[in-house]
Amino acid sequence: MSRNQSQLPRPFVYAGMILLVLAMIPPAVIAYARATHSPLPRIQLQQDMGVQNRFDTQQANPMFRDGRAMRPRVSGTVARGHLREDEHYYDGIVGDDWADTIPIQIEVDRAFLERGRERYDIFCAICHGVAGFGDGMVHERAQELVESGRHGTVWVPPTSMHTREVREKPIGELFHVITHGARNMAGYASQIPVEDRWAIAAYVQAMQISQHADEEGDS
Amino acid sequence: MGRYHYVFPQWTNKLVVLLVLGMAVAPIYVVFVVAYGFSPDTTWVGYKPEQPVPFSHKLHVGQLGMDCRYCHTTVEHAAHAAVPPTQTCMNCHTQILPESDKLLPVWDSYETGEPIEWIKVHNSADYAYFDHSAHIQAGVSCVSCHGRVDRMEVVYQAESHSMAWCLECHRNPEPHLRAPDKVFDLGWTFEGSSQEKDDYHAYWRDANRIQPGQDCSVCHR
Repeated sequence: MSRNQSQLPRPFVYAGMILLVLAMIPPAVIAYARATHSPLPRIQLQQDMGVQNRFDTQQANPMFRDGRAMRPRVSGTVARGHLREDEHYYDGIVGDDWADTIPIQIEVDRAFLERGRERYDIFCAICHGVAGFGDGMVHERAQELVESGRHGTVWVPPTSMHTREVREKPIGELFHVITHGARNMAGYASQIPVEDRWAIAAYVQAMQISQHADEEGDS
Repeated sequence: MGRYHYVFPQWTNKLVVLLVLGMAVAPIYVVFVVAYGFSPDTTWVGYKPEQPVPFSHKLHVGQLGMDCRYCHTTVEHAAHAAVPPTQTCMNCHTQILPESDKLLPVWDSYETGEPIEWIKVHNSADYAYFDHSAHIQAGVSCVSCHGRVDRMEVVYQAESHSMAWCLECHRNPEPHLRAPDKVFDLGWTFEGSSQEKDDYHAYWRDANRIQPGQDCSVCHR
């Protein structure tokens, strides 16, 4: 026998080396998984009751043809207590004309106007601009896209709150526009609750007064 | 007169040493692989499903500065932060890039009324109760749990959302508490000395009387 008695036989050496290499695979996979993003579903080793036999908000339900677990209201129906009879409160209309006042059920104070400012900044400022001059970031972006002529962008600049025409609009009409939209603007009734829409309308009027303080003198 | 006599070859001495060494290392190795490999930091963080529409939060939030609440309207008053209906996309996109191929599924949904099947990125276990509005009212910013979504081209899970991770904040909520007007400002950080920073967070903890529960029944109801 040519091999030294004290040396490990080859098969043992090879087995050891293969084992070492194999042992490096899991840490490598772990390191890779930690360092990268993946569209593969999350791994949950212990399911327990993590996925229960129920439907969560906005989940899909194959039982219905449209796939929604949350059922849309049946069209043409009104839920109990949701008949919106008060035209002043829900549409900004009194009689045949725009309402000139904020509905009686709303308490107008500083907090109400602050709320209006906050909601305006969330929902309106992106187009109409923080100060209401129709120069929001979406407007800027749309202008760029119109200039580069990409994918059929057509853009009518958002209305400035500070033209004479808009300043003369009664608050009911502002509320109606926020609710139902006008021209290219979509209605925001589904995104903004009714009281917040009144707050925004009030804030818009406050903003109009602030921008024309010297003309009106009494502000 | 045969007497069977077996002598282990000399190399077995080495083998014994190697085996003992291996048996000592193996448990450490297994503990390491389980601790790191099975942790939600590995198995959950980084989940980035491909959505039916390549909507970019980086563009809409990061660049255009849209508020989270423009789309996720329910987050302040409901447990669930709603994924917006197609109408919300179309507030702008009937006019902006209406002919883009990327918007085809949106048009499809807009015209048929069928929902777009967005894939949920952050999904807590069904036995864990979570309420977005409670956390928003407490002054916990979106960024604490969802990371810098305003920098994500495609949204991915940035934090582990494991139970240990929840408890970490429920035990020491202060670093995550902010003034109400900073909650949706993902890029905001406190500027000032570390003492001022501590005072700031402590102030908002007191102001909102934040006492997060750590009992089982707080989340497992």
